[in-house]
Amino acid sequence: MSLRERVNQPKDTRPWYGELPVESLYTVGIAGEKFLRTLKEKGQFLGTKCDRCRQVYVPPKIYCERCLAKLDDWVKVGSCGTLESWTMVHVGLDGQKLKKPELVALVKLDGASTCIVHKLAGIPVEELHIGMRVCAVLKPKTKREGAITDILHFKPADR
Amino acid sequence: MSERVAIIGIGATQFRSITPDVSYKELMFEAAVKAYEDAGINPRKDVDTFVTCAEDYIEGTSIFDEYVPDQLGAVLKPMHTIPGEGLHGIATAFLQIKTGRFGIAVVEAHSKASNLMTPDGIAACAQDPVYTRPLRLNSHFIAGLEMNRFCHATGITRDQCGRVVIKNRGNALNNPLAGRAALVSLGDFCSCEPVSCPLTELDIAHPVDGAVVVVLASEAKARALSKNPVWITGVGWCNGSPNLEARDWVAVNYCTRAAEMAFRMAGITAPRNELDFAEIDDTYSYKELQHLSALRFCGPSEAGHWVESGVTTTTGEFPVNPSGGALGMGHMYEATGLARLYCAVEQLRGTAGKAQLKKASRCLVQGWRGVPTASTAVAILST
Repeated sequence: MSLRERVNQPKDTRPWYGELPVESLYTVGIAGEKFLRTLKEKGQFLGTKCDRCRQVYVPPKIYCERCLAKLDDWVKVGSCGTLESWTMVHVGLDGQKLKKPELVALVKLDGASTCIVHKLAGIPVEELHIGMRVCAVLKPKTKREGAITDILHFKPADR
Repeated sequence: MSERVAIIGIGATQFRSITPDVSYKELMFEAAVKAYEDAGINPRKDVDTFVTCAEDYIEGTSIFDEYVPDQLGAVLKPMHTIPGEGLHGIATAFLQIKTGRFGIAVVEAHSKASNLMTPDGIAACAQDPVYTRPLRLNSHFIAGLEMNRFCHATGITRDQCGRVVIKNRGNALNNPLAGRAALVSLGDFCSCEPVSCPLTELDIAHPVDGAVVVVLASEAKARALSKNPVWITGVGWCNGSPNLEARDWVAVNYCTRAAEMAFRMAGITAPRNELDFAEIDDTYSYKELQHLSALRFCGPSEAGHWVESGVTTTTGEFPVNPSGGALGMGHMYEATGLARLYCAVEQLRGTAGKAQLKKASRCLVQGWRGVPTASTAVAILST
């Protein structure tokens, strides 16, 4: 044993409490600005297209992460799509059990190659299945602020 | 660049859910002294370079590399800290020795998880601040989404994931270092708390405190110092798309690329036949099955049948995580992969005690950096 002595009584152990106060701004960037502004003002989803890699990035990027080409071919994609996966989250950010569990969805919008991660509502868990059609529900235009939370949640396309 | 690289010393503390009696520096010191004794070296005289792996937020300080030299004997020595998995540290030290400029290198990683007052908050800060963090979700949601998608695509069942937990926590009963050993049955999954369906409390490797230190040496130094060197014959590492939106949610292709890099270096063409066992990431139950196929040991749906039919038990044809894995030993943040490596070295030396496998001469070790990352490192070890 490399430590010759140990603290033998719990009462003799003493932690010091501290915290890290950190606040940041996160620049949404050229692609993020256009995507979030269009979501706010027109209620539409924009992506960028890489013809070589046959990818449509939503949220968009100004470069292709596969071939690193500069992307400036902007395309409108649907606000409905396919449920690629879902989960019911039972714990909160503080690690404590949530009073009301939350449904989260992974959705591939029509015309996009990538997925959006967002909340899901308006359907009992028993009726959820991967591959089902879902649509984005947006905040009313006057309440939108140009953020991913302008999407309230996704809901089944047929309800 | 031709000299081989060996592991000549390993040291670890016990892995425990709380360690209120010692500081993280004392945990590191304990593991370091054990590793130096094991290698038969004097750290102040013999070690040429030190690599530690840690994340500032998890340590609760900024610029954490300033906080590591003293307890390792690294003051006034070449050293640096990388915010990567412990096995990234092994790969880095391996390359340093390969340059021919360093004879002995030390790699360290640790966890003082019990000091974290807001572990879920720190994990959430790794989510994309513009597109994901505003949803205010516990990061386990990413594992829940992935597990659901992975099981749907491969046909792997809830029960098969449960059998990984039963196997690994059971294996840990034979590992005196392990902090999460337990007898678990499939029935326990019916009554345990859901976290992010289908993921339950039992599917998660919960954190423990502990430290691991590994001493690496050039072939010349290893031959002079060690009677039982374990050779690192290949290393590989790779990152996939960091974006939740753009990544592949079934095949963890970054893990495959890392393994292929290591296999190429080690001259391995048929991993399942050429290796005796594997110590791989099982941060979540399904990850062991996902990683098994990504590492090219079996097909994507085959991994479920393997765990069901006992192929991956300690007496099976291809033991996986005989140490108990992170599910059985506890999750140690950046030290998780290094704990896998520690136990693999014990197996190859034939000193794994009750956990000792009958055949252990060549193996693979893999670490993953947890959600939301797509970051992995692999090492191939041989007697």
